[in-house]
Amino acid sequence: MTIPKKETRKGTTVRLKIGALTAGALSVALVASGCSKTTEDGGSGDDKKAAVQSGLISYDAAENKGPAPAVEGGVKGGNVGILLPDGFEHLDPARAYVNVASLTGQLLFRSLNGYREDGKGNLKVVGDLAENPGTDVNKDCKVWEFKIRQGVKYEDGSPVTAADVAYGVARSFSKNLSEGPHYIQQWLADSKEYNATYKGPYDGGADLPPGVTVPDAQTIRFTFAKPQCDMPYAATMSTTVPVPKAKDTKTEYDRKPFSSGPYKIKSYAIGQSLVLERNPNWDGNTDPLRTALPDTFTWNFTLQADQVAERLVADADADKSSLSWVPVPAAQLAKTTTPEVKARVISGPTQYVWYMTINNNRIKDVNVRRALNYALDKDALLKAIGGSAAGTPATTLLSPTVGGFEKYDALPAPVTGDPAKVKELLGSTPPPPLVLAYANSPRRAAQAEAARKSFEAAGFKVTTKAIDPTNYYTEIGRKDNPYDLYLTGWGSDWPTGGTVIPPLFDGREIAETGNQNSAYFNEPSVGAEIDRIGGLPSEAERAKAWAALDKKIMTDFAPTIPAYYDASYTLIGSKVGNAFQSDAFGYPGLTNIYVKQ
Amino acid sequence: MVRFVIRRLLLAVTTLFAISVITFLLFFAVPSSPATVMCGKQCSPEQIAQTEHRLGIDKPIVEQYGTFVKGIFVGRVIGEGDFIRECPAPCLGYSFRTDEPVTDILGRTIPVTVSIVFGAAVMWLVIGVSLGMTSALKRGTVFDRFAIGVSLVGASLQVYFFGLVLLLVFVYSTGLLPTPSYTPFTENPGKWALGLLLPWITLGFLNSALYARLSRAQMLETLSEDYVRTARAKGLTKRKVYIRHALRAAITPIITIAGLDIGASLGGTVITESIFGLQGLGRTAVKAVGDLNLPIVLATVLVAAAFIVFANIIVDMLYAVVDPRVRLG
Repeated sequence: MTIPKKETRKGTTVRLKIGALTAGALSVALVASGCSKTTEDGGSGDDKKAAVQSGLISYDAAENKGPAPAVEGGVKGGNVGILLPDGFEHLDPARAYVNVASLTGQLLFRSLNGYREDGKGNLKVVGDLAENPGTDVNKDCKVWEFKIRQGVKYEDGSPVTAADVAYGVARSFSKNLSEGPHYIQQWLADSKEYNATYKGPYDGGADLPPGVTVPDAQTIRFTFAKPQCDMPYAATMSTTVPVPKAKDTKTEYDRKPFSSGPYKIKSYAIGQSLVLERNPNWDGNTDPLRTALPDTFTWNFTLQADQVAERLVADADADKSSLSWVPVPAAQLAKTTTPEVKARVISGPTQYVWYMTINNNRIKDVNVRRALNYALDKDALLKAIGGSAAGTPATTLLSPTVGGFEKYDALPAPVTGDPAKVKELLGSTPPPPLVLAYANSPRRAAQAEAARKSFEAAGFKVTTKAIDPTNYYTEIGRKDNPYDLYLTGWGSDWPTGGTVIPPLFDGREIAETGNQNSAYFNEPSVGAEIDRIGGLPSEAERAKAWAALDKKIMTDFAPTIPAYYDASYTLIGSKVGNAFQSDAFGYPGLTNIYVKQ
Repeated sequence: MVRFVIRRLLLAVTTLFAISVITFLLFFAVPSSPATVMCGKQCSPEQIAQTEHRLGIDKPIVEQYGTFVKGIFVGRVIGEGDFIRECPAPCLGYSFRTDEPVTDILGRTIPVTVSIVFGAAVMWLVIGVSLGMTSALKRGTVFDRFAIGVSLVGASLQVYFFGLVLLLVFVYSTGLLPTPSYTPFTENPGKWALGLLLPWITLGFLNSALYARLSRAQMLETLSEDYVRTARAKGLTKRKVYIRHALRAAITPIITIAGLDIGASLGGTVITESIFGLQGLGRTAVKAVGDLNLPIVLATVLVAAAFIVFANIIVDMLYAVVDPRVRLG
């Protein structure tokens, strides 16, 4: 899963990266010292005894086998248009990380694993290039083996091999191709500085990264120093897309990557347009994830968000088979309420949760932190950016999209806040003066103002401080930052609690700068519990334990204020069939849509 | 004349040099680093340093500037090891974000902006000047009052409002016109014109209002000059007096303003490009600033400045043609 664009961690104007749901897997990886067993049996896709792993990873042979289930009413042909305000920074699978590029990449590439979704909320990790989501060879999550399917071909008809997957991983170590996700690289190197020693296959480097072996043309094996039980999730990311060495054009690969998916590039003008046409060598029988019904896909990268909404609301002939990955702007939402347009809205939660983060270095009194939780008007925060279309008030640290999610409310208050409860909690303690920092964009400024008003209504004196959006996360990521409150968003790269709790709430990871734990929450018992959960034997147990830890953190320490669960609200044209919000990517996926005739 | 041109060209180069230095310094005065902005969630200080090294922004500013200028005149080599790339002159570097040569980006976006401005300028000059001149000649008539009224409306409107209204009426609601888009003129002139019609009308109408008022005022002032009265007293026809004497004198300040307007517009019609979804120089520049994409910021600023500087030179040269009283030297 990948992050949407703009205003995310590490850069407001930067990418929203969620590769496949985001980040802290590294922490999971590095702390999970004893993840003892996985429940899959490691059999091939044909093994009828293989069961669905308790959780989201499926070893069910039927689900891992091509072709993908037929789409009801789906017909072949036509062109699907995608209307966007910006082009992709990268299409090279080693460099692509934002969700819009990942959604596009699904048409061009096949990674080892992928997400199988049915539009009814069922999401499972299955083998894409691989016959199944990976075999945990020694049942200790340290050695993972993937068997490449027979008959998968590139756009020139040549076969996809395990060596190509290994080469794809190898080139992602290069500092010149460093924009993509780095989980697997860090696990292989057993270090955050993944390319300190092995620097990729260039300048005389080996074609195989350390820890990767290719016993035969169809088998690739990853050996990690520490248990990495999330490997089936990490293998959904584009790091594992095959790249034949002979076709590697280094930084030029971004402009014309070599297709292993159902479509290939027909024309690409960076920042202007992209046209995909069928890859005649793609065989649907090898692909459990894609029906690939439209003949072509055409991207237009030059439109404003308002313009996109206007066009899709109008549903003129030229746009009837178009969709967008840009949320409908707040000012245009009223136009989407008529029954005809409403039927064409695709909405739902994304992987993101937004927090009004409390700087625990400065607000040390848990009662004050609890009071702040009661004070915040979450409804006003949402109304400032479009209301329910932008999200729903949150009470948990984890997003509802995370496996094992359990709803709770440790500090129950009306969504508009509870000033009376604040006064009761603070008692005779004078409310401390607060500095609320925000990224200086119209959306965040409006939210900061709404937050300021709600805190002041509860008796706090608040000073707001605008920060350059490009520098926002750097600034609040400094351990000694002088702010008490700031709005931060976090989306997971894959749907497990391990990609949220460790990076945001493990105090042992706090450094002088570059902190993701911007609450600076440092509680030894939480660190110990993170380690314990990392070592649990099954995905289901871990999921349950993450949810329990989520509740414990908020109940006992209230280190932050869960503000709202992010939501996406986009439009499609009236001739787009089988479009639904991908739980993995937060926007409508393209692999199984069709053009109504 | 030659001396004049050489002198102005030298001045232009000095101006562009100063602008490039100021832009460079301003860029590095910003507290954030492009490497940080480009970095993802898993970004460590070491990775930021690695990216800064790759982008070449870890070197002293003077060295970076020297490399940039050298690249413009003699080209340069960018990257290291297997990633070395030849960047022939005039090398403006590669986009920090997409690794695309900046010259390619300019080659793609300048024609869009030039096309928008070209068509709009024709509209605003032809409509505005003829409306203003005719209005002056028919001073006090219904036509004059109507023209003043229309120009007042036009001068009061804003691009972001008028453009959106045109889009709503002609594209979204009625579908009378296709969605604005850019097709190269060489590829299909008809499609080129049709795709840019609404931006032309928007910019053309709004600017023509100003030009109508300016032309009218200039013409009225000129018509009140003694030499015009003398010419009429000598028996010249109205037509000859207006066209050969009055118009020529009245048009000089309009050329000055038009030159500056066209030059400035060529630097980027940001709002027009944004409203109509056209990826021209202006939008590219604005996005580059937000992304801290130094090579594109520098290139777009320099190109915009060059348009204005050279528009000024052309205006000065045109003076001599239009008004013989002006002597170049």
